[in-house]
Amino acid sequence: MSSLSLYSVQAVLILDSAGKRVYAKYYEPPHTGADKYKALSKSLKKQTEFEKQLFQKTHKQDSEVLIFEDHLVLYKEYLDVTLYLLGSMEENEIVLQQAFNAFKDSLDLILNSGIDKKNIQENYDMVLLAIDETIDDGIILETDPATIASRVTKPPSNDPQMDLDKGLLGAWGFAKSKLQERLQQGI
Amino acid sequence: MSTHTYKKFESSESGDLPDKMTIYQSCMSEFNESQINAKKCRLLIARLLRLLANGETFPETEATALFFSISKLFQHPNDSLRQAVYLAIKELSGISEDVLMATSSIMKDVQNGSDLVKPDAIRSLTAVLDESTAFSAERLLKSALVNKHPSISSAALCTSYHLLPIAETTVKRFANETQEAVVDLKPFPHKNIVGDYYPNSTFITQYHALGLLYQLKKNDKMALLKMIRQFSDNNMLKNQLAKVELVKLVNEVTTKDPQLFIDFQPLLNDWLSNKFESVQLETAKLITNFATRNSRLISSELFAAAITTLQSLLTVPRTSPKFAALRILNRISMVSPEKIVVCNPELESLINDSNRNISTYAITTLLKTGTAKNISSLISTITKFIHDVSDDFKIIIIDAIRSLSLNFPNEWKSIVNFLIDVLKNGEGGFKFKNNVVEALIDIVSFVPQAKETALENLCDFIEDCEFNEILVRILHLLGKEGPSTSTPSLYVRHIYNRVVLENSIIRSAAVISLSKFALSKNDSTLTESIISLLKRIANDQDDEVRDRATISLKFIDSARKSNNQEAQVFIESKYSYDLSALESKLATYISSDKDSFSTPFDVKAIRRFTEDEAKAMELRRKQDQFLKGNLENGRESTPGFTEESAIADSNENSNFSGPSLDDHEQDLLSTKYVDELMSIDQIKKFGSLVNSSKAVALTDPEAEFIVRGVKHLFKENVVFQFNITNTLTDTALDNVTLTCTPENPDESQLEELFTIPIVRLLPSEEGACYVAFSKSEEIVMENFLNTLTFTTRELNQETNEPFEGDEGFQDEYDIDSIFLNAGDYIKSSFVGDFSSTFDELPNEEVAVYNVKENISLQEIVDRLIVNTSCLPLESTQYASSDSNSHTLKLFGKSALKGSKIAVIVQLIKTSKGIAMKAQGRAEDVTLCADLVNGLM
Repeated sequence: MSSLSLYSVQAVLILDSAGKRVYAKYYEPPHTGADKYKALSKSLKKQTEFEKQLFQKTHKQDSEVLIFEDHLVLYKEYLDVTLYLLGSMEENEIVLQQAFNAFKDSLDLILNSGIDKKNIQENYDMVLLAIDETIDDGIILETDPATIASRVTKPPSNDPQMDLDKGLLGAWGFAKSKLQERLQQGI
Repeated sequence: MSTHTYKKFESSESGDLPDKMTIYQSCMSEFNESQINAKKCRLLIARLLRLLANGETFPETEATALFFSISKLFQHPNDSLRQAVYLAIKELSGISEDVLMATSSIMKDVQNGSDLVKPDAIRSLTAVLDESTAFSAERLLKSALVNKHPSISSAALCTSYHLLPIAETTVKRFANETQEAVVDLKPFPHKNIVGDYYPNSTFITQYHALGLLYQLKKNDKMALLKMIRQFSDNNMLKNQLAKVELVKLVNEVTTKDPQLFIDFQPLLNDWLSNKFESVQLETAKLITNFATRNSRLISSELFAAAITTLQSLLTVPRTSPKFAALRILNRISMVSPEKIVVCNPELESLINDSNRNISTYAITTLLKTGTAKNISSLISTITKFIHDVSDDFKIIIIDAIRSLSLNFPNEWKSIVNFLIDVLKNGEGGFKFKNNVVEALIDIVSFVPQAKETALENLCDFIEDCEFNEILVRILHLLGKEGPSTSTPSLYVRHIYNRVVLENSIIRSAAVISLSKFALSKNDSTLTESIISLLKRIANDQDDEVRDRATISLKFIDSARKSNNQEAQVFIESKYSYDLSALESKLATYISSDKDSFSTPFDVKAIRRFTEDEAKAMELRRKQDQFLKGNLENGRESTPGFTEESAIADSNENSNFSGPSLDDHEQDLLSTKYVDELMSIDQIKKFGSLVNSSKAVALTDPEAEFIVRGVKHLFKENVVFQFNITNTLTDTALDNVTLTCTPENPDESQLEELFTIPIVRLLPSEEGACYVAFSKSEEIVMENFLNTLTFTTRELNQETNEPFEGDEGFQDEYDIDSIFLNAGDYIKSSFVGDFSSTFDELPNEEVAVYNVKENISLQEIVDRLIVNTSCLPLESTQYASSDSNSHTLKLFGKSALKGSKIAVIVQLIKTSKGIAMKAQGRAEDVTLCADLVNGLM
């Protein structure tokens, strides 16, 4: 693969505090057919093994960047999850760091109460959308976290029209009755 | 479907994965409802995707059914649901059939969707289109490409990029639009923003457009040059990823045509101080990589500027720029450490960095740039933290230290102490311990001053070593080196302890090791004790141990009583066989027909090496490997070698794993020469071959006939072997001979005996022509002028035979002369203590040279090593490029008599040339004089 290729990200992973997978996506250039990454994107067994070893290597190490099995790995450990981004050895480290920051900071923006396992699992749809808006099949799509966050929709609320009406009417009703009470008392 | 499982995933706090079948069932029912509940559907899709992300998969029919139901959700207008639908479509398209059916819905969205879903719709096209349908998206993609909204334009560019392999002709039609997209700055529109975020415009569309444009034009050099010219102008590119891409483009162009580099130098210089670190980094990477391949084409100022940029990146607080800069510096340190000495202060401050990756890189880099002065301080710094790092890092550090020990033998004390410390106190697996032991074995073999300290500590180590393999190696080493130390009895005690305490594998190794002490000259009382020990062992419960003890006793006995040479040889082997030659000979012996088994295998035909020779070869191999390993690693980062590079980097530490293939071939080659020579009757009469030189090129490598000469030395004869390659395609050479005329015919001491010509040399074949001379037993040196004579014959292409009646015509061809010099009479040899050996040798000869040629010290050192065929000792084979003087220490043995010779060459480089003073000492007066006077 030429170093000029736009396919610079090889995988995005989220592992929990025991090294188990919360999210994983291994990218491969579409429509090429060839297994470029030794079929890591194909075999679940290899992936699990890889993730296990990667976790051992990075857990409680706080080194942010390392080379692991021919991948350049950027990661950030949170309280009970670790975010990873894998790129090729030749890729510009700072470019990958940009992509990783976009991934990490956009999660930070959309998950209101910070990045942790519970939050990620509860807002899984939004996490998926954020990753999808950051990296498209291995191409870095966007590096500005706010742009990414602005493109991630919140889940639709249940029958929004009705809810709103009911709420307003209810509030109006409540206020009206309160006011009447006050007025009566005052008079 | 029990309610139990359903409830379980409803509360996501449990973190358990939802049940696959439950999800499938609910998806199928919910998505097919007439009234779609957007909230519920999105939630279900999220759960489905979570299953898929965790590696669950669906059978094709179920996946197709899912895909079909999901595409029904297109009826619902909610954008929030729509985004989730696109995610699902992309994930499911890989495992389901008939993905094309979603195309029309997607296309509708591409045309009429909101700005929010449009990019998602465009990007999902990658997943649903195939070779036969890709063209249908042409119009849509083209108009999206020029859209003012950056997300839409980027999405279209990425999709085109993905589709390139299957729809090249379609995408090629976007060239103009792509070109426009690079130039066109597309700010993010601030109206209609859904949430409360304030996006910054990154103009990343430029990056995508540039990437695609390169793919479209990559075979057109002029177009690429035009791209660089156009886009490097006045801040045309705002996006930093795009700028990095442009640097890579320059790299690509200059790799293909290095001559272009000169034009880019000013541009690169600008980029080195670019405001983006990524651009600085990529430019520095480009320059340093280029310099390792084409050092002549790059100005030293630019290289220095690149180093300065890297140096400043080392001091930034963020991790990844530091890490990246260190990786590059580490690469340079393997090829030309002297160039990055300026960064040493920064590197030293990084040793204590909290990030272990960074500190390890800093240390290995420093160790390579290290000089004799700062080694011990470096080692003490490493000692402080080595116990805290992982095995992998330890191994990298140990390997760096190991090469140091060969380069700076005088620093052995701190190195050995360090190694012993990590060996005894360090926690670590087999690989790590083995590396440490190997480093110590190297030191024991090549740094004699350190031998006893290292051995004693290894003895302590085997007292509690858990790895059999390592134990056996150490026992063997003790047996080999122990008897010649000052207190052999010390080692005997340690070895015998192993016999008492360990398993049978180790016991048998210990027995052999013990038996070698029986004939130790340093302590004659030992013999009796060894015999009694061995007698006790002869009752061991293990067969192998018993056998070995018994046979050792037998050997010792016969060696003492009858002074039996053979037995002595068995106990203390004085020489080893050329293993690769032995292997190939044995293989041919076995594979030949049964008749040949009647004659026993003749082991005498295999070359044998004495211990010194073997050591010399090993040291030379290690030195070579060190250099070669460096070059390979240095090359690793150049594009085009991507595949190997990955391996090279991860195997940085395996440079010493054993002889490389090249060496192996070299060994086989010399055996081949012997075989060929001995098959010629006339030469066979000369007796056994004493020495063969390396092949010397006598013509340009581009000449029509490539000739390489090898000098074979016999006791009273010399044979020149000329390997001639015919590079012509349609002409055969007949009767190829070489006429060797002595330069001074009157004084010639060599008498030509015969010439064996090559009868016919077909195109692109190699043949050997021999010229034999007789000489006196003394050392004879002479120069020969050579002329190649042959008859050319044109070949009939069909039969590969010369045309009939073609007489051919005779031709002559002058080639370079061949020198028979003193070096040809010398074999390289190893000696531990050069200076005392030098002082002990009786005959001295001094000569002074003045070399007028404009060459570097290193070049002259290399030439001297080849000319003398001696072994450079004390790592004097590397002349540092920033000093004007150098001392080279050479040691060898006469190939004819085995007498020692040592030479010290002092070199001083001045503006006029190189002044050289050679001081030689040898046991043989004439050899010494001949060698010292015939250096150049």
